[in-house]
Amino acid sequence: MKKVRLGIIGLGYVGKIHLSHALKLENAQVIGVADISRRALSDARKQGVKKTFSDYEQLLKEPDFDAVIIGLPTHLHRDCAIRAFEAGKDVFLEKPIARNVKEAKEIATAARESSAKLMVGYPQRFNPIFCELKRKINCCELGDVEIADATYVSSGPFFHRAVDQAPSPVPEWWFDKESTGGGALMDLGCHLINLLRWYFGEVADIRSHLGYRYNIDLEDHAICIVQFEHGTTAIMNVGWFSQVFQLKVDLLGSVANASAEHRPENHLVTAAKMFTLGNSRFLYPHLAELHYFSDCVIKGVKPSPSGEDGLKDLEAIDLAYKNTIDLRV
Amino acid sequence: MSSVSFVKIQKNTVASTRRAIGEALNLVDYSFKKEIRNVVIKPNLCYYWDYSTGQTTDPRFVQALIDLLREKIVPNPNISIVEADASAMKCRHAFKFLGYEKLAKNNVKLVNLSEDRSDPVAVRVGRHIAELRVPRTIRDADLRINVPKIKYIPGQIKITCALKNIFGCNPYPKKIRLHPQLEVAIVATNKAMRFELCIVDGNIVSGVQPRRLGLVMASEDSVAIDTAAARIAGLNSNLRYLRIASHEGIGNMSFVPKGEPLEYFKARYPQQSSKDKLLGIAYKMVVHMRLGKRLGLE
Repeated sequence: MKKVRLGIIGLGYVGKIHLSHALKLENAQVIGVADISRRALSDARKQGVKKTFSDYEQLLKEPDFDAVIIGLPTHLHRDCAIRAFEAGKDVFLEKPIARNVKEAKEIATAARESSAKLMVGYPQRFNPIFCELKRKINCCELGDVEIADATYVSSGPFFHRAVDQAPSPVPEWWFDKESTGGGALMDLGCHLINLLRWYFGEVADIRSHLGYRYNIDLEDHAICIVQFEHGTTAIMNVGWFSQVFQLKVDLLGSVANASAEHRPENHLVTAAKMFTLGNSRFLYPHLAELHYFSDCVIKGVKPSPSGEDGLKDLEAIDLAYKNTIDLRV
Repeated sequence: MSSVSFVKIQKNTVASTRRAIGEALNLVDYSFKKEIRNVVIKPNLCYYWDYSTGQTTDPRFVQALIDLLREKIVPNPNISIVEADASAMKCRHAFKFLGYEKLAKNNVKLVNLSEDRSDPVAVRVGRHIAELRVPRTIRDADLRINVPKIKYIPGQIKITCALKNIFGCNPYPKKIRLHPQLEVAIVATNKAMRFELCIVDGNIVSGVQPRRLGLVMASEDSVAIDTAAARIAGLNSNLRYLRIASHEGIGNMSFVPKGEPLEYFKARYPQQSSKDKLLGIAYKMVVHMRLGKRLGLE
């Protein structure tokens, strides 16, 4: 069986998640990784990665790689992705595609012009429970979905604030709007926008209320009302304030209703599943998206969510930032 | 023997909290000296958890204390709210995210002890000698007030309250290097930096989950406060670090309770159930065997 030769650029929080999953893929092989942290590279070597680079440019020059997974901070996405396309690599780019619409367009255009494949990382698109909702919508089991209610709250960049998580420093770039392009709406909202666009098509209009519980320059929570072109109205709640992870979608249709909730399992259950099955239900979507991406590379198929999807998600979020309603008294 | 007061906050407002603090101080016969000009307040800021989690001192509680200080000492004393950087927490972010920046006006300043000038000291605790640094802001204060939380933490010391909060004054951010000898390090820090007064923000406490307890505790004795906190949390208060602290002359493990009965708050404290305890032991075993690391969970 042909295997995609993968490189991973960026071994921060999400990069490590991608590395651990990529190492389990049967249709891909992790050839090398790049990061500025010596410790991260050393850890990767211990996991069996043969080639390590302190500069991603060196990795991109190597002919041994078919594709790269980019898990860098958002402000570095554009330059790295464009350099990867120029080097002839297919790209799996962590969400959000970029920190603003302009950069997202540049990335999508560069991908198109290079004929390289570009996939934006939205693991929930590969989550069986959300795929089941998509099936129900497609089969008209719910009738016309008039209202959708989507919620994604977590501790956001404050991983250690979550229940049972060990303290770990938060990288400074998280608090810099120039680096991230936005707060919770950008970070978590893009997941929900992408999922809802997958279900209901393009966004016609969007309004938002942004909240600032933690006095950060970026919003730490947001509520959006989204009108889709085909008629569905969605309410979207996102927040970085919660110690508990909650990702939930409720669909209210003219025939039936449906709900799906992605929630972490108990530590012991997770450990048991990791031990016996090699993966847990909670982490499965991350594995599935990389497996799908590698399959697309092998078969020469354009992956979805594509760069254009990532751009449209960002356009919707950009509109939400412009159309804010201030409810504070 | 030291006195420890227990007072219930009647309403969740700054004014009601100020009254409760005042009553708690009256019960232990504490009165502020009029000549005090420089006051240090040490809240417990723990990572970026806010007051609602019970992990960090509520800035409104500190505001109530500041209001009381202005009433009892002089209208405008120099007040420094102090905290030090920690392995995973930067003070400048914590002050901002947790709402302390709003307090920094009218002679109230926020001091990052990790950036403060400090002097080296060697402190003996039993046969150990701890090399620490004492920040000048703490050294030069006329009055040092410790405003900790009550937190149950499984592990070495079990209860985080007055003595552990002062451990946070160590300016060196990577305090984890002191953790192998945590009990000794806590006692040494309290010997090096003596806080004259302790007022516990027990409005929301952290046990197996946060809960509003509406408690203010006050004492001039940090060891007595921690002994009382351990009892409220349903623990055997004969904890090793308290015995060491008592032996080193920081305070007494026995105390005279004043005000509301301790049992009233103990009955409402969110204690662990037997199931929680069993799960905790199982989880500790997973961590101890490094299963999480081996399975890629960490």
